[in-house]
Amino acid sequence: MAPYSSVISPQGCSSSSSSSCAGNKPSEIDGLLAGAGYKVRSQDLRQVAQRLERLETVMVNAPDEFSQLATEAVHYNPSDIASWVDSMLSEFHNQPEFSDPTNYINPVVVPPLQADTWSNENVQHCQLLHPQQQQQLTVVATIEEDSGIRLVHLLMGCAESVQRGDASFAGSLIEEMQSLLTRVNTVSGIGKVAGYFIDALSRRLFSPQNACAGSSVENEILYHHFYEACPYLKFAHFTANQAILEAFDGHDCVHVIDFNLMHGLQWPALIQALALRPGGPPFLRLTGIGPPSPDGRDSLREIGLKLAELAWSVNVRFAFRGVAASRLDDVKPWMLQVNPREAVAVNSIMQLHRLLGSDPTRGSPIDTVLSWIKSLNPKIVTVVEQESNHNQPLFVDRFTEALFYYSTMFDSLEACTLQPEKSVAEMYIQKEICNVVCCEGLSRVERHEPLVKWTERLNGAGFSSLHLGSNAFKQASMLLTLFSAEGYCVEEKDGCLTLGWHSRPLISASAWQTSALPDVGCLPLATIENTIL
Amino acid sequence: MSRAGPREKKKKHNIQFCINDHPDILIEILQRLDDRSLSVAACVCRLWCSISRNDSLWESLCFSHVSPPPSNVRPVVLALGGYRRLYMVCLRPVLTRLSRPSLELDRVGGVWSRNEVQLSLSLFSVDYYERLGGRLGEASSLMFLCKPVNVS
Repeated sequence: MAPYSSVISPQGCSSSSSSSCAGNKPSEIDGLLAGAGYKVRSQDLRQVAQRLERLETVMVNAPDEFSQLATEAVHYNPSDIASWVDSMLSEFHNQPEFSDPTNYINPVVVPPLQADTWSNENVQHCQLLHPQQQQQLTVVATIEEDSGIRLVHLLMGCAESVQRGDASFAGSLIEEMQSLLTRVNTVSGIGKVAGYFIDALSRRLFSPQNACAGSSVENEILYHHFYEACPYLKFAHFTANQAILEAFDGHDCVHVIDFNLMHGLQWPALIQALALRPGGPPFLRLTGIGPPSPDGRDSLREIGLKLAELAWSVNVRFAFRGVAASRLDDVKPWMLQVNPREAVAVNSIMQLHRLLGSDPTRGSPIDTVLSWIKSLNPKIVTVVEQESNHNQPLFVDRFTEALFYYSTMFDSLEACTLQPEKSVAEMYIQKEICNVVCCEGLSRVERHEPLVKWTERLNGAGFSSLHLGSNAFKQASMLLTLFSAEGYCVEEKDGCLTLGWHSRPLISASAWQTSALPDVGCLPLATIENTIL
Repeated sequence: MSRAGPREKKKKHNIQFCINDHPDILIEILQRLDDRSLSVAACVCRLWCSISRNDSLWESLCFSHVSPPPSNVRPVVLALGGYRRLYMVCLRPVLTRLSRPSLELDRVGGVWSRNEVQLSLSLFSVDYYERLGGRLGEASSLMFLCKPVNVS
């Protein structure tokens, strides 16, 4: 218990600005159960577990006493499990001690509950059901929740042994987890997430060369389904578009540089908004950066043609240019052909974190890219990144953070009813998990960092924050209400917007401009690069 | 001769008025219907169908709630697929979902603001874009707005 409870801090406290903090001291209260809504001290865990088992056997074997319990007794708030269990047990002061706690693990013919990852409904609903039904359900529920928590503990232990280099112990833990998985509902909740993490860990141990990178076509398909299944990418696109639209106000020649074109789904809305802006549309140039496509097919150009068709139909003068590069730091500013008279917007949706891996031969890719962005003198730089810290030096820290982050993300995905979009979206997320857990060095590209770190980094590179206006916030809120799930929340902090699930922010959107500091080398550099061409 | 006296008198009093003979009046009436009634009207007969599917009828439906009404939106909407499609695919779902009582958006008494219009148009443009090329297959990013039964 001790090793991990100091590492994990209750996620709800640290990140978002408007969510309330529970005010618990992290070292005393078990962090995992705190995430589920239960307050239990770490040192009490074993005792509470034993008492729950006792309560269980008592309930199973004394149905008539229990029905009296259901009607007359007063029960305390179950979030404080220790005292709740004690109060329940004290009602049965005449019960004999059961020395064999395995009595209740008889196979019960009840369909497994749809246990939400951190749901506390199972234990709380004791007093509401028919006694017999209730016995069966509490048995299953206790097993489920017990196994879920046990899985998490085992995952932590396995991660630690991987970090230590103890491959044999890690391997045995993986086997144990895989057998435990068979007893847990893997369709949703903790079982499903744990399954992916177990798979990633075993890949890391046994076949690290089997890299997680897929072909660009595969990645595009996964990305597209992720776009449809949940609102994160839509939120990113619409928020960035709103900021870009406002920054382009009053300019007649505008140039947007997209760091990852994919299917270009972000741009129809911007083109339409520019077409309708008071004063008429500007001349829009779009430069889309993307990986080179196999088979000699020019996918960037195809997307450009589609966008051009849309722009033509709404009477917006449009020009497209595609830049094929497998890594962003391969792109040189002269390839973008920026005209000094046009207003430039740089748009990066979940691309900057891929540059954080350091390489002795290439210097620091992130600094290279940030400096050439600055040299373009953009009117606005829109940055959308995952709100999590998956770039910590220690493997265990990354693993823990990823476990919480992706559990929350899978939870939010449960609300999606579109198939096959949902399953393919899960594959998209699984790829990310694989990269965070299995890969190291340059191949680990999913190096997510939270907004505070990006703020520091961008401030250090000569950018200052541009506040996203209230229009962006309103639009984001409206967009979320269109999704049937009620758990999404948009928050504003220091002019940046974050979208999260149940007060855990998952994705952040921010806008930046070059700061007003006189940087003598900046403007001349831009004009020099243009004349070289 | 004079035998058809009483019948002739009856005929003169029973002049049938058929609305289908007066499409201008029909248009005036249909213009004032709400979305569901208009869609049901399209099922009556071919004439009603062709009139009901006329885009200009849907134009007033689309932006009657908006204050102030958006100007110069028409060429864009027509280019992206027309008012009827805009209403069925984007506006109606947005309207129904945004009118849930739990929301605190600044809408005064059922009147929309520019933000809702803008959002609907953005979604509409994405829909048009996806219909452009067949490369994306059957996937449509606006499916999250669709309900299984659609009256159209």
